[in-house]
Amino acid sequence: MLMISPRMASGMQEKQYTPSLLSFFIYNPKFGPREGEEEKKILFYHPIEIEKNEKIRNVGLCEAIVQFTRTFCPTKPAKSLHTQKNRQFFHEPEENFWMVMIVRNPMVEKPNKDGKPPTVEYQEEEIIDSVYGSVLQQCYSMYKLFNGTFSRAFEAGGVELLTQKLEKFFYRYLQTLHLQSCDLLDVFGGISFFPLDKMTYLKIQSFVNRVEESLSLIKYTAFLYNDQLIWSGLEQEDMRILYKYLTTSLFPRHTEPELAGRDSPLRPEVAGNLLHYGRFLTGPANLKDPDAKFRFPRIFVNTEDSYEELHLIVYKAMSAAVCFMVNSAVDLSREFCEQLDSMVGPHLTLLASDICEQYNVNRRISGPEKEPQFKFIYFNHMNLAEKSTIHMRKTASVSLTSVHPDLMKILGDINCDFARVDEDEEIIVKAMTDYWVVGKKSDQRELYVILNQKNANLIEVNEEVKRLCATQFNNIFFLD
Amino acid sequence: MHKSENRGSWEFQPEETLIEDSGEFPSCLAQADLNGQNKDPSAGCAVDVPGPSYQNEDIMSESWRQHRKHVFVLSEAGKPIYSRYGNEEALSSTMGVMMALVSFVQAGGNTIQSIFSDNRTVVFLQNGPLVFVSVSATRQSEQQLRSELLHVYHQIVSLLTQASINRIFECRKNYDLRRLLFGSEKILDSLLDVMDSDPGFMLSAVQCLPLPSSSRDVLSQILQKAVTPNLVFSFLIANNRLVSIVQEKTVLEDARLKPSDLHLLFNLIRASAFQAGEIWTPICLPLFNHDCYFYAYVAYLDPPECTVCLVLLSTDKEAFYAMAECKRKIEEAFASQNALQCVSNTQMSCFDDVGLANLRHFLYKPSNVQEHHRQLPQFTCPEMDVAYRTQDEKIHLLDLYRNMHNRIHSTSRPLKLIYHSAERETLLAWVTSKFEMYACFTPLITKKSAISELTKLLRWIKKEEDRLFICNLPKYSTTPQPGRSSTDRGRSDRQSASDTGLLSLL
Repeated sequence: MLMISPRMASGMQEKQYTPSLLSFFIYNPKFGPREGEEEKKILFYHPIEIEKNEKIRNVGLCEAIVQFTRTFCPTKPAKSLHTQKNRQFFHEPEENFWMVMIVRNPMVEKPNKDGKPPTVEYQEEEIIDSVYGSVLQQCYSMYKLFNGTFSRAFEAGGVELLTQKLEKFFYRYLQTLHLQSCDLLDVFGGISFFPLDKMTYLKIQSFVNRVEESLSLIKYTAFLYNDQLIWSGLEQEDMRILYKYLTTSLFPRHTEPELAGRDSPLRPEVAGNLLHYGRFLTGPANLKDPDAKFRFPRIFVNTEDSYEELHLIVYKAMSAAVCFMVNSAVDLSREFCEQLDSMVGPHLTLLASDICEQYNVNRRISGPEKEPQFKFIYFNHMNLAEKSTIHMRKTASVSLTSVHPDLMKILGDINCDFARVDEDEEIIVKAMTDYWVVGKKSDQRELYVILNQKNANLIEVNEEVKRLCATQFNNIFFLD
Repeated sequence: MHKSENRGSWEFQPEETLIEDSGEFPSCLAQADLNGQNKDPSAGCAVDVPGPSYQNEDIMSESWRQHRKHVFVLSEAGKPIYSRYGNEEALSSTMGVMMALVSFVQAGGNTIQSIFSDNRTVVFLQNGPLVFVSVSATRQSEQQLRSELLHVYHQIVSLLTQASINRIFECRKNYDLRRLLFGSEKILDSLLDVMDSDPGFMLSAVQCLPLPSSSRDVLSQILQKAVTPNLVFSFLIANNRLVSIVQEKTVLEDARLKPSDLHLLFNLIRASAFQAGEIWTPICLPLFNHDCYFYAYVAYLDPPECTVCLVLLSTDKEAFYAMAECKRKIEEAFASQNALQCVSNTQMSCFDDVGLANLRHFLYKPSNVQEHHRQLPQFTCPEMDVAYRTQDEKIHLLDLYRNMHNRIHSTSRPLKLIYHSAERETLLAWVTSKFEMYACFTPLITKKSAISELTKLLRWIKKEEDRLFICNLPKYSTTPQPGRSSTDRGRSDRQSASDTGLLSLL
């Protein structure tokens, strides 16, 4: 992606190129161990236009690098390769299956006088390994959520089935990667929790219990409000990737028809149904139509032990969304959906407006929200809870931040420093622009605060952060 | 400096002209031996003895893999030249792989820089025909590891000159450079050891011996008077710290000696581990002029303790006796004025009386804005606190400093200040227009106390500035001898190979 930034009095413009995806491939060296068989190792390769021998050479380089690093530490091979022009990330999610992502380094093109070609300056330091390494890992997690593991696919249908699945998934998924806006939040891969009072929380809990009891087919449930999680019955790792899918892919695709105007085409054709605002986000779009075909997406969870394949039913009423997961062996009929709709619809609608009211009441009680003069990011490793007042909107395509990208990279650096040791630490830095950044790690929790107080000294900054901790975190701590 | 072994050199006719006839140019080792002293590692002298040789370590063993930092030097043709641990010949296939990685990436119009894994960093550097690879278990940044490799390159240049290295490989792509570096591996070993434990490399600065400026002036004046044509630098070093440095004015003009060159020079002296007698050796100062040699006369003034070392650099290959004469004059003057008394009296850790209970250690480097620090960047630091007495702990502390240095001097997102409260210590790094400093406090110190102690420390340093740093670099002038004008000027502008005649040394 290209951004123009006007610079200096000379009137000549520098062109800034952000990091972009150069190449992405998946291979297994065991599938083509002998000479002449190299092509068999390659299970997926993007871009597809690359000539066969070049693909083989690139894969060969990765193998050589992994092997070379094994000389010095057999159990922990290479994770990234830095070159002047690009950066390669390596990930072995399953034994002998390797995923490689090649990102072009951000660069600046400076125009030269006298018709000379522009000078290109590569900015290697702009890419933080932990960020893009996490993005690569997430690629695997997302694939696995919808397709199960590589080895299972290989066992079920050999290389053909596996390559088919990889092609189908990654061809689309890679287009959704927006490498220019990846940052610390990608390292965390956290979940935003909705802060609730005890009463409302219990109401939701009992709703879930009741539905699960009445519809015994349901194995797992997850409850979300406004793109934030309230409750989940899934394992943490599975919920984490499902959450990412819901908030960056599924939810953005379905805007709120009940908020649409009367004449809007979004208004559902459910004229007769004034009982509730519930509808299916996956599965039958229109229950009234008996001939309409529908299917639910399948997801794979607990791949480490029980390896379950489930139907993913996502049902929404106003701002509340519930995920019901049913064993995929079951055939979900129209009757079942209607049953679900009539049971859950009205109840969920009521619950949704309850939550909304309660939330507004809480806000009024706690006083006018000190609108985040504090820019911070918080993450709890134990429950994956994440909160950021820096990111303003998280859509499928872009994460808008209200601070300069360099500050976000400083946060990334501090996070890397924290990751080196297990103990609790605190790092405070003053950037060249006189912004202060405070990073605190304590007891599996990380907090990063950015303060725009140019004339403050270390003691004053310390006091500010203490104040922030005392006020802003009570709500979130409740959910621990 | 070394005796090159003419092993079957009649096969390699083109290089004969490059290989020096070592008859009239005794190697420093030979000289030291001639005076009947053998290096005795157990003698409690101040000379740093290089670490044990890992020449024959088994490269398949776990212990070889676990080393903190491997450094490999190979030629563009993939020929092994040096390995810090293990026999480089045994590693030739590993080095072949390294070269293959470099070439492969190069073939794509790109340059390989580094490989990261969870607990190793591999860094590549290519300079001319030589390739350097560092495999490090430390968590140093790529930039720092690369600058260490650059120092290794410069140390090799200091032995051979850059022009010679380039020319050799131009003639023969698969020349075996070990033939010329035979016997010098311990210099590289010593350099790698000292880079870990001396903050001067990270700061690109030299550490001075704290002395009242009047005493230092006395010593400098003595050095200034004992000069001879073609003598361009005189140094006095005590306990591995610089005491005084004087330089020739007209020949060198604005020439500045870079700390990196000094580090290489000091390392050479340290690695040769001689005690009595003198060394007379060619040395190239790569940042000063990477294509020609100076000739260094080195002698300890106080055998057998060997703490005070005199170094005289000349541009004249034949000036050994003139140098020896200068040394004699200096010794006489020192003795008659009892000038070295101040050196043995000096205290290192004199900041104890400032009353900073929580400060364990610090590094302070005045910025290059001030004139004398631009002439010669210096830093000061006390002796290691009791918490960091062992070598491992010392290196641990320096690793912490190095991490902060890396962050604070980042090219894309530099910082002004870092305050890091960790489990075992509290660290602070601060860069201003006037200075750069790193400090280490006890872990439980409050921010208020840290600031207060830091302020007191800065005030104390300001007060003691005269004593802690060399504040002026005295100059003298000698008239170059006629008829040698093209050969004796170590100017920073390039000389052509035929002119100087110095390049024929090899």
